[in-house]
Amino acid sequence: MSSIRVAGLTGAALAGLAMLVPLAASGHHSFAMFDHVHRVTLAGTVTRFQWTNPHVFIELDVPEANGQTKHFSIECASPNVLMRGGWKYTDVKVGDKVKLLINPLKDGSAGGMLEEATLADGRTLGDSNPPGGVFER
Amino acid sequence: MKTLLLSLVVLAAAAAAFASATAAGSPPDLSGTWSVYPGRAKGSTPPDPKLVAPPPGPLLLKPKYAQPYEAMRAKQRESDQRGEPLANASTECIPNGMPTMMFPIYPIEILQTRGQVTIIQEAMSQVRRIYLGQPQMKIEDVPPGYFGHSVGHWEGDTLVVDTVGVKEEVLGYKDTPHSSQMRITERFRLVAPDVLHDQITVEDPVTLEKPWTYTFAYRRNPGYQMLEYVCENNREYVDDKGVTRMRLQDR
Repeated sequence: MSSIRVAGLTGAALAGLAMLVPLAASGHHSFAMFDHVHRVTLAGTVTRFQWTNPHVFIELDVPEANGQTKHFSIECASPNVLMRGGWKYTDVKVGDKVKLLINPLKDGSAGGMLEEATLADGRTLGDSNPPGGVFER
Repeated sequence: MKTLLLSLVVLAAAAAAFASATAAGSPPDLSGTWSVYPGRAKGSTPPDPKLVAPPPGPLLLKPKYAQPYEAMRAKQRESDQRGEPLANASTECIPNGMPTMMFPIYPIEILQTRGQVTIIQEAMSQVRRIYLGQPQMKIEDVPPGYFGHSVGHWEGDTLVVDTVGVKEEVLGYKDTPHSSQMRITERFRLVAPDVLHDQITVEDPVTLEKPWTYTFAYRRNPGYQMLEYVCENNREYVDDKGVTRMRLQDR
């Protein structure tokens, strides 16, 4: 089971609400689907931004060297967690050009878990998933 | 002079009466929204060791239950390592129920009204109601459910709560098994003006050798407004091997 090293949340105003929750107690094992060591940065265009529970999703079209486009589904934290980490539901829109640092799916399919996003306006926001922590690398 | 003395006596008596009324008549105020204590914020001071939750007591399952439980945990760890995590209730947007909903993974909200304490867990909008001063029901009269039936009363500064009727499919804290005979006792107490402990003791004559006790600690979060949580779009699904997968989209 991955252990957790703490990173501070972005969003100074929400510092008082930061929470560190031990993953083992929550029983949410799906983080294990993702490779937390071999991270990848995707640069592409947002085709959908699903601001829903249990996970926010960013759908991304990424241009490839051969001129084709590869589509990725990127899982983020719950909107509840993201908001406490400084996100607003308006921070990402269809058509935005973004860079996403992701932990890709271990099975090799075109998806992953968000670690950090560089938004269209240049701001970076962390995922805070699990709440308040990052994975030991 | 006599009037002044008399006024002072009356004032002193009134003050004493107020103090004793507050101490004896009004229970502590647990209302508000609460986040995990100590939590972790940039630049925060280290937590007060007197306020941190004490370590949990040992989990002593009867052998018949201990072995499958350990085997299940080992299988979970092994599947996680392979990157093929086994699915569980949260994969399917199913609430934790009692007592796991009390774990402060997200904030909780406590409402104190006459004759009732209501607790809302932000994660999956779980609600439980504690009926004050009412006798507890017989377990067999409670339709088995996620949250059970809770009654409570104040013992001085401690709210003592008894819960029965959680169904067996709703696993306990750390996915522990339990029977229909499980009884959960909680002792809620402010260990500081804005730090609350929920000491949970699980008894189960069928599955446990001895009662299992653990404590969750919360910090009051004035001004925090609870968010909704409707588990509507679960892109994680369970495949035919019981493994959690993520549903990808084409666009």
